[in-house]
Amino acid sequence: MVIANPYQNTAKLKNPKKHNHYGFRDFFQFDTERGIITDWNDSQNVLATEDFIIGLVEGLEEEVGDASAVTMYTIGCEWGQKDAFFFEKWFQKEFDRNLRQTNLLFLLETWWWPFTSQGWGRWEVDMGDRKQGFMFINIFDSAIARTLGDVGKPVCYLYAGLFAGFFTEMVKKQLSCIEIQCYSMGETYCKFLLGGQDRIDAASFWLNEGATAKDIEKRLRAGELLR
Amino acid sequence: MLSSLYALNTELDGRYATDSELQTADQFLDSYTLRLSTYRKIQVLETHIVQQVQTRIRQVDPEIMVYDNRDVSAICERDMLYVLRYSAIALLINGTDLLEERVLLWLQTIMRSFKDHQHRSDLTYRILQEVIQQYLIPAEAALFLPVLELNRQFLGMS
Repeated sequence: MVIANPYQNTAKLKNPKKHNHYGFRDFFQFDTERGIITDWNDSQNVLATEDFIIGLVEGLEEEVGDASAVTMYTIGCEWGQKDAFFFEKWFQKEFDRNLRQTNLLFLLETWWWPFTSQGWGRWEVDMGDRKQGFMFINIFDSAIARTLGDVGKPVCYLYAGLFAGFFTEMVKKQLSCIEIQCYSMGETYCKFLLGGQDRIDAASFWLNEGATAKDIEKRLRAGELLR
Repeated sequence: MLSSLYALNTELDGRYATDSELQTADQFLDSYTLRLSTYRKIQVLETHIVQQVQTRIRQVDPEIMVYDNRDVSAICERDMLYVLRYSAIALLINGTDLLEERVLLWLQTIMRSFKDHQHRSDLTYRILQEVIQQYLIPAEAALFLPVLELNRQFLGMS
């Protein structure tokens, strides 16, 4: 969890031009006197336990039932949209360069690194189908799925929302996201599909019918959509 | 290895070290003078080494420093210097954890953003090993080359 913080990371003050600052000792600064954890981008971080994640997911389910998935997705969307603005600021400051004049993959890798340091897992972006209007993101070691374990259904709605919100702001075009494979379904990693609403609706329908991530990839690449 | 000595310090909770634990510490201390002299040599020669690597790379592939019609040699030189410096620290303390955590894991993903990155990195970190052997005696090279090979494996291989 990250909130704005007026205090600066002293490791950054010592070496402000350093880009490889994602190691634990560089990225976080623990201010024991004030009880505050600050990261390289001057955000305040809060440590959350696995119990917290379980409490959040199960508590929400108890409160709103099936709507908990949409709620988590919506929270993720808002987070992603806000983070896009935050990212734009720190990226320009760190690299003295506008987002729009930057290699897209480099930009995305740079965006995700703070999340990796914060424990949200490593990722891999597959942009091979970008020209067709969709792309895939793999998450290894999702904090939510890792915590909940094998529950037989996708659980990373927060991540799906985060990607939808962030990429919508980045490309200035409404995008949606769905998790089509999850560690909590017994898979080895989580896989997300990002694209326009028509594709996400189709993927959601196929998923409910029992399609696997591979089936969905195949059908999308063949240009199939719902009729 | 400093990290091992540190681990030993935390593991030895109310007991004496075993023979094998002491042997690890001994091995590190025995090699420390050589590690320090190699570290200092690299420190003094880093600019020569990096420039020589750049020259050799260009001889093999004249287009390698051009990316999207832009000369990226300054960026390559900066990255190589960083990698060399962190590698030298890994040599000094005989531990590559920090090298991996602070540089390689990050640089590996960043390099993936650029097309043909594996060829570029493989060539760079292979030639770095060749060049550095000209400056080190065999005993020094034996300590340092495995660290440099780790860089090549992280950055130059899939």
